[in-house]
Amino acid sequence: MSTVSKTVRALIVDDESPMRDQLRARLRDVWPELQIVGEAANGIEAVAMANEHAPDIVFLDIRMPGQSGIEAARQLYDRCHIVFVTAYDQYAVDAFEQGAMDYLLKPVVAERLQRTCERLRQRLDKSPENIDVHLEQLTRILQRGESKKPEYLRWIQAQVGSSLRMISTKEVLFFRSDEKYTVVQTAQAEMLIRKTLKELADELDPNEFWRIHRSTLVRVDAIAEVSRDERGRQMLKVRNFSGSLEVSRNHSHLFQQM
Amino acid sequence: MRASQLNKAMDFLRDTLAEGKLLWWRVFDWLAVVDWRQLYITWLLVFAVGVLVRTVEPAIWFILLSFGVKVLAGGKRKAELVATEATAKAEVATLERRLLEAQMATLQAQIEPHFLFNTLALIGQLIETDPPQAAKIHMNLIEYLRATLPQMRASGGGTLGRQVQLSRSYLSIMQARMKERLTVNFDIPEELEHTPFPPVMLQTLIENAIKHGLEPKIEGGRIDISARRDGSVMQVDVRDNGAGFNLHADEGVGLANIRERLRLLYDNRAELVIEAPLEGGAIAAIRVPCSILEKH
Repeated sequence: MSTVSKTVRALIVDDESPMRDQLRARLRDVWPELQIVGEAANGIEAVAMANEHAPDIVFLDIRMPGQSGIEAARQLYDRCHIVFVTAYDQYAVDAFEQGAMDYLLKPVVAERLQRTCERLRQRLDKSPENIDVHLEQLTRILQRGESKKPEYLRWIQAQVGSSLRMISTKEVLFFRSDEKYTVVQTAQAEMLIRKTLKELADELDPNEFWRIHRSTLVRVDAIAEVSRDERGRQMLKVRNFSGSLEVSRNHSHLFQQM
Repeated sequence: MRASQLNKAMDFLRDTLAEGKLLWWRVFDWLAVVDWRQLYITWLLVFAVGVLVRTVEPAIWFILLSFGVKVLAGGKRKAELVATEATAKAEVATLERRLLEAQMATLQAQIEPHFLFNTLALIGQLIETDPPQAAKIHMNLIEYLRATLPQMRASGGGTLGRQVQLSRSYLSIMQARMKERLTVNFDIPEELEHTPFPPVMLQTLIENAIKHGLEPKIEGGRIDISARRDGSVMQVDVRDNGAGFNLHADEGVGLANIRERLRLLYDNRAELVIEAPLEGGAIAAIRVPCSILEKH
């Protein structure tokens, strides 16, 4: 039990105000002496408020706009005890268990909150644990389900009339360089972009697009068949497109076993 | 005796005729599809043989006759053969489509577990503090699930009005959660409400606008849903003033799914167009042919 006589101060951080209200109401029942010094709606606000009010405990939602709870926790864990709050994150829950971090599941249940609060009371005397390693691990786990390869270009921008069209690379059948411009071919349209084939080749996922010719980058998934014409050249048929594309000798090794 | 011999002769004649006919059609088919270049070479060979055996006349007759057949009937016959091949290809395409539809049925069930758990948590909270509001959100959630779970969805296309109504349920839930961070505006002309519109697509665009546009933005923003008819095309726009595009983020299953389904339903007569407005945010538009739709 804590021997500290001063009031314990806490901060509630969640981007959804009904959730903040709920946690506040629950805490009032379970730990009436706890003083809620503030409520924040995102990570940046949370850090600012923590700087101002120096709370002992921060209840942190994980998914929030601007700055996630985990990023905020990185800046706060050496000053206050962190309790993560999450609605649904099986992976995160596993990580919390392994890292022995405090966490609550939404909707917050009184009994569970009671246990968490008891644990907190015992730990208030000690300085907060260093959870940096666990946060690192948590970040990796949470990113797994989202963008796997953020480094590759996934959207092509093309000026069409006065508007800027966004073309997903999944829509593209192939890119072909055409003197000054590069032509983007989709199943429905042909558009011009300023990016050169060289730039595209560098930025696109090499497993998604293959260079089959000095002037052609083709989307691998769009290839329908490879054949030889009467002159012995390798020709590619692309799905949803009537013409065929020539594979130059330098790149014919791509289709060797076909 | 003579009768049986006559019979034999007749049989032989009939067989020969049948064989001849078959042979004729073989030659005919061959003539129809053969390259002119190959035909020239054949003519040259036949002529050379004719010269060798010193009977040029049949060779000339053959050349003239085959030329006539090739010119007169070749095109038609070739078209027939091409058509047969195309039919076979079309059958394969139909099979591919069926397979795709089966795959899509599973893809359509894309309810975010996050959304579901957060909404249930919200309802739980509201039951204590604001029961009438809890009941409202609860009804909206049921409406949303009914529209989104494939096994709950009635088969066949919906109308634009119905799709808008379902989107309203979803947006009501999101507004209860995001409060002042989410502003919604619908601009759907009444006369378009009964126009058929494929299910779930509008929903996907709105969910994307929230997830990628407004949720990541601290101050939130607004979503504008509008529809208009332009001749034989109906266009439905979902516009947000959110975070805009991350050029390196995958477009996700939702948009790819819409594109596939549009292709299946309308071939190339419908499209999904995505734009980045100068002032930020995103516009996603679905264009579908109206006249075709109304026949469904």
